[in-house]
Amino acid sequence: MDFKQPLAGLMLGLVMMPAQAALNVFACEPEWAYLVRALVPDADIHTATTAEQDPHYIEARPSLISAMRRADLAVCTGAALEAGWLPALISRASNRNVQPGKPGLFFASEQVRLHQPHDHVDRSMGDVHPEGDPHIHLDPDRVANVITALADRLSGMYPEQQSDFKRRLLQWQVAWNIQQARWRQSAKRLDNLEVVVQHTSFGYLLRWLGIESVADLEPKPGLPPSAGHLNEIMQQMKDQPADLILVASYQDQRPAKWLASQTGIPAVVVPGTVLGDQKPGSLGELITVIVDQLERHRRTPDV
Amino acid sequence: MKKSNTRVSALALAILPFTAIQANELNPNVSVVLDGFYKQNHTALSNRDEGFGLGHTELSLSSPIDDLFEGRLTAVLENHEGETELELEEAFLQTTGMPYNLSVRGGRFLSQVGYLNSRHLHEDDFVERPAAYRALLGTHYFDDGLRLNLLLPTPFYWQIGAEAFDGGGLSEGDEDIGVYTVNTRLGGDISRSQSWQAGLSYLRNRQIHGDHGDEHGDEHEGEHDEQGHGGHGAEYTGENLYMADLVWKWAPAGNNRQQQLTLSGEYLYVDELGEYATSSDKHEGWYASAVYQFAPQWSAGVRYGQVDLKEAHGDHFDDQRLKETDVMLAWSHSHFSTVRLQYTHQEATGFEKADNTVMLQYVMSFGAHGAHGF
Repeated sequence: MDFKQPLAGLMLGLVMMPAQAALNVFACEPEWAYLVRALVPDADIHTATTAEQDPHYIEARPSLISAMRRADLAVCTGAALEAGWLPALISRASNRNVQPGKPGLFFASEQVRLHQPHDHVDRSMGDVHPEGDPHIHLDPDRVANVITALADRLSGMYPEQQSDFKRRLLQWQVAWNIQQARWRQSAKRLDNLEVVVQHTSFGYLLRWLGIESVADLEPKPGLPPSAGHLNEIMQQMKDQPADLILVASYQDQRPAKWLASQTGIPAVVVPGTVLGDQKPGSLGELITVIVDQLERHRRTPDV
Repeated sequence: MKKSNTRVSALALAILPFTAIQANELNPNVSVVLDGFYKQNHTALSNRDEGFGLGHTELSLSSPIDDLFEGRLTAVLENHEGETELELEEAFLQTTGMPYNLSVRGGRFLSQVGYLNSRHLHEDDFVERPAAYRALLGTHYFDDGLRLNLLLPTPFYWQIGAEAFDGGGLSEGDEDIGVYTVNTRLGGDISRSQSWQAGLSYLRNRQIHGDHGDEHGDEHEGEHDEQGHGGHGAEYTGENLYMADLVWKWAPAGNNRQQQLTLSGEYLYVDELGEYATSSDKHEGWYASAVYQFAPQWSAGVRYGQVDLKEAHGDHFDDQRLKETDVMLAWSHSHFSTVRLQYTHQEATGFEKADNTVMLQYVMSFGAHGAHGF
């Protein structure tokens, strides 16, 4: 464009201002910050948790209230994962754009069908989410659904940028499909792998890969591993050893390391989600890291 | 077959609304808190009698009302000398759709003065509130009124608020607006593992009149009896209450699931104690507490607090002082169950029943998962 007349240029600039102001996003977990960045690279994103933090247990601390106050859009997991802090944050931030039922509050878990929803739960079952398992962010199929729904939501909120969102979604989908093809190849080799887990953090990915979780270090969802329960798993592993113990970096690693030392089964710690500034910085990289670790610990390597 | 299934589940929903909370989103969030204790000895300024007893048993309902309002109702059952009292502690609506990060709350609610006052008792780390709170705020001050809160558009957290109350929850009187408060709160993160919050509050009690010596026959000494009804209302009051609070929390990498250290402290100052008081008469109290959650299910804490009071006796005041040290160990099997062992040491001047005591307490909750603040 040719701005020969400075005044016209200024006027045009002023008119374009609202569209140019960076989108302010509050992401409850780093995986959703990553998806937002894929669609809106210049968004101003505040991520409430890191891969080292258990997203069930964060507090509604002042810095988060402040970030929520500024947000145009909040992207969270939902399905009661953040039940201990998000409602307090939303209430204290009094941000009229980010309220239940408003387009500015996006729950990833509402965009997909969750694994194991319960008609009836009580807490004797542990901290079970009645809506289903909320840890969907490593499921190659569900993540693709979430980002599509997120692009739709953004297009609804900012129709003038719809073509940008669509274009970036398409780019992301192409790259994702290529990676997915690679993971499918790995899945064939990982067919009868047996894994000990801690919580359902990797449940969706393991199921997608066709891998069986043979034991959970948590006696009940949300309860820390107890000595009695670990002893039971140790006995189980002596009869039928699993291939590896897989835990997320935010979890207490001592139970896994103890079990590894007792049984000789390798304990592998991987980030539970993307790391903001270092690798794996994208969900694709993270899934690849996990798949590579699983392949490395197969007992019967292909010849 | 399918049809009968539907009928059965419809029946289940009708019979068991409390267990099927999440199945129907239109139901409010229901939560129940059970609080029971055993206390070895009687202590000064305490709401909990010696022996076995029930503390703050709470039934709470909350829900969005529509797209502009949310509401909460909290009923508390408390046992005092063999009588069970039902009290409405919260019954308020709050706006959710106001511009400029404004919010209005109306009805009955906990005043947001200080750090502890706006928190529910079951969130506390010790069996009882600090002595200064028990003396000057009736453990926790709630009342009927209106609140306006504003978050300032600053890069850090800065909230300012004002409240107007009936005042009957603090002391008796016939003012329409017996109490108003103004308060501000600031906070932020120092690093990934440390965060802080500081607050200043002022509470004006308009039911206390400082016009020295005018109306003699007034039943002003009645202040002290007020503990009688409901166990609430403050035993020690004054026209002006000033509060300052500071909280600092540390968790490795910010992961408070595994470990967390919380340091907190508050200072309370009350002056203009009433018609017979001189300008130098005041109530003053403070506490400092350190609580270390050293494993996901365990925490230990120590708290020291003291309060200097003027007890009204007709036309003169007597000095009173209570120093209190608490040490506690708590085990939380899950997020919803806590068993706490606490030892309290009291040193008192001017109190008859001050003593040392061991207390064993449980706090258990079921129903909706409450979201807790900082």
